[in-house]
Amino acid sequence: MFRAMIKKEFLLVLRDRHALIALFIMPAVFILIMSVALKEQFNQDAITFNVSVIDQDKSISSKKFVRKLDKANTFNVLKEDEEIQILITIPKDYYDLQKKSQKLDLLVKGSMKGDLLEIFKAKLLKEVMDAKLKQMSKEIKKTSFQASKTMKKISLDYEKLYNIKYEKTELIPSSTQQSVPSWIVFGMFFVIIPMSTIFINERKQNTLNRLNSMNVSIPLLTMAKIVPYLVINHIQVWIMLGVGVFVVPLFDTPALEITGSFMALEVLSIALSLSAIGLSVLIAVSATSAEQATTIGGISNILLGAIGGVMVPKFIMPDSMKELSNISPMSWGLDGFLDIFLRQADIMMVAYNSALLATFGVVLLMVSMLILQIRTSKGL
Amino acid sequence: MLKVSNVTKSYGDFKALDSLSLEVQEGSVFGLLGVNGAGKTTMLSILNGLIDIDDGEIDVFGFDIKKDIKEINKISSIIPQHLAFYENLSVKENIDFFASIQYASKEAIEKAIEINSLQSLLSQKSSTLSGGQKRRLNIAIGLLNDPKIIYFDEPTVGVDPKSRNEILDSISDYKKLGITVLYTSHYMNEIERICDEVAIIDKGKLIKQDKLDNLLSNRVSDKVLVETLYSKRLPSLGLKLLDDTVVETSQNDLASVLEELAKHEVFIKQIRYGSSNLEKYFLEVTQ
Repeated sequence: MFRAMIKKEFLLVLRDRHALIALFIMPAVFILIMSVALKEQFNQDAITFNVSVIDQDKSISSKKFVRKLDKANTFNVLKEDEEIQILITIPKDYYDLQKKSQKLDLLVKGSMKGDLLEIFKAKLLKEVMDAKLKQMSKEIKKTSFQASKTMKKISLDYEKLYNIKYEKTELIPSSTQQSVPSWIVFGMFFVIIPMSTIFINERKQNTLNRLNSMNVSIPLLTMAKIVPYLVINHIQVWIMLGVGVFVVPLFDTPALEITGSFMALEVLSIALSLSAIGLSVLIAVSATSAEQATTIGGISNILLGAIGGVMVPKFIMPDSMKELSNISPMSWGLDGFLDIFLRQADIMMVAYNSALLATFGVVLLMVSMLILQIRTSKGL
Repeated sequence: MLKVSNVTKSYGDFKALDSLSLEVQEGSVFGLLGVNGAGKTTMLSILNGLIDIDDGEIDVFGFDIKKDIKEINKISSIIPQHLAFYENLSVKENIDFFASIQYASKEAIEKAIEINSLQSLLSQKSSTLSGGQKRRLNIAIGLLNDPKIIYFDEPTVGVDPKSRNEILDSISDYKKLGITVLYTSHYMNEIERICDEVAIIDKGKLIKQDKLDNLLSNRVSDKVLVETLYSKRLPSLGLKLLDDTVVETSQNDLASVLEELAKHEVFIKQIRYGSSNLEKYFLEVTQ
C-alpha cells in the first residue's frame, strides 16, 4: 500500500511540468545569475590580511618569520587588540628541529570572505614553506645522518601546518558560496507547489475521502507524501551543487568548493527537506484552494527567504535584521550550508541547525495531520 | 443487509440526521432521495466511516459501524459524485494504484474494467477521457475491492444521455451480481428506472420508505393541469393559470374548463392528472 502511494506521488510530481521548473530550473538559473552578477562584489585582487602573531616559540627563527610576515605586502602584522582578521599563534618549540613538527594555531577573528581565507592559507603556506626550506638547507649542510633524522621531523604536509579555529564571527562567502546554498534552500521550499496542488485536488475531488474509506490512515497518507519529496529535495541539492561546482565556473565566476564533510551536507539537507515538507503540508492542508496554497506558499517563501538571508546576504544586514533572520528556517539551513562551505563543518557543527530544522518540520507535520484529521471528520 | 437504526448526527445546534432509520435489503437497489441539505451526504459519510455518529446504530452485513469500520470498508465502496481519481495518471495507473491500496484480486480488477468497458482506454491519460468515460473509471475504482454494497453519490451529474444510460444499465448489472446498491440522485427518473425501494429524507428525518411501486401508485391530489397552445385570449377567460399556457383545475371542473377553452378556440396540447410520478410525490411530501 505504502509503495503504491509513493509511486503515485512520484508519477504525479514528475508529470507536473510547472512544478519541475519551479523546483529545478528556477534555483539553477538563480544560482547562475546571482553568482555571475555578484562576482565583482567579491573581487579578490590586491588583498592584504590584518593579522596578529603570538610568538610562544620566541626562537630566532620564529622572530625572523614574524618579521618576514610584516615585510610581505600581503600581511599587516598588528597588535592583538587592534582590528585583526586572523590571530596566528606560533607554539613553543615550533622551530626546534630536534622535536616533532608542531602546527601553527590560526584563529579567524574578523569578517572574512570564504575564498579569501583560502588565499590567506596559500600565502601563509608560502611563507611557512620558505622558512622551513631555509632551515632544511642549513641542516643538509650538516652530516647526512643528522640531516635525514631532522628531515623526518620537518613536516611539509599542507594539512599538518596549522590548526584552524573560528570565533563565531561572520565569514563572508564568495558570490558562488552565497548563491548556491541560498537558492538550494529557496528551491527546496518550493515543493509547496506540487504538494499543495496534488493535496488540494485530492481533497476537493474527494479522492482523499475515497482513500480514507479504503482504510488509508491520515499518518500513512502523510508519510507517503514525505518520502517522495525527501528524494526530490535531495536531487535538488545535488543538482544545485553540481551547478555551483561545474556550471558556474564556465561563466568566469569562482566555482563552489565543498570543503566541509559530505555527511554533514547529507544530514543538513535531510533536516532542511523535512522542514520544507512540513511547511508545505501545513499550507496544503490549511488552504481551501490550490490557488490559495500557491499564493500563501509563494509569499511565505519570499518572506522567509528575505528574512533568512536568501535575497539579501546576512553579512550585509544590520544587527537588528540579523537577529530577526534567526526566526526563519531558511536562515538555519543557509547558516548550516555556509558552515559546510566556509568553515569545513563536520556533522557536529551542523547538528544544532539540523536539529532545529528537523524539529520545525516534524512539529508542522504533526499539526498538519491534526488539521487534516479534524477536516476529514467534519467532512470538509 | 444494511440496517440504520435511530441515527443522530449534529454539527453544533444543527441536526444533520435526526433519529433516522433505514433498512436496505441485500441484493436490492435502494434509492435515497432528499433535497440538498436533507442529510444524504452525511449519511454516506457515516457509512464510509468518515464521520462518527452521535447516537444510534448501524449494521452493515453483520458489522457494527462503531467497532468494525475497517471491516466494513473492505466490503463496501463509495462512488463519489466528484471524479475521485488522478487526472494526470493513465486509466491503468489509476486502477493499479487503487487496486494496490485495497489489495484487489486480479479477477476483481478485470471485472471492474470489463463491466465499465474500459479495456480500450487503459493507456489513455485520464484527463483526456470524455465525461462519461471518466464517470465509468470513477465507478470501476469503486468495484476493485469486490464490494458487497456500493454507495452511489449522484453518479450521473453532468453526464451525457448515452453515458448516463450505460451507467444506469451497469447498476442494473450489479443487482444481477448480487451487489447491494444504495443510490442517491436528484434525477427522479433514474430512481424510478433502477430502484426497487426508495426512502425520502428531509431535514435529517425519514419521511417515507416504501417499495417504488407503492410510491408510484399514490395519487396525493386531484389536481389537473391543462396545457394549451399559446393564445392571446387565454388570460381573459378568468381561469386559474400557472403560466402563459397551463391552466390548473380539478377533476370536477375539468369538463367546464375544456368547454370554455373550445368556445374561445384555445387549442389543448395535453392534460396531466394528479401526482402520477415520483417527482411530484417527492415535492408534495417534502413541502
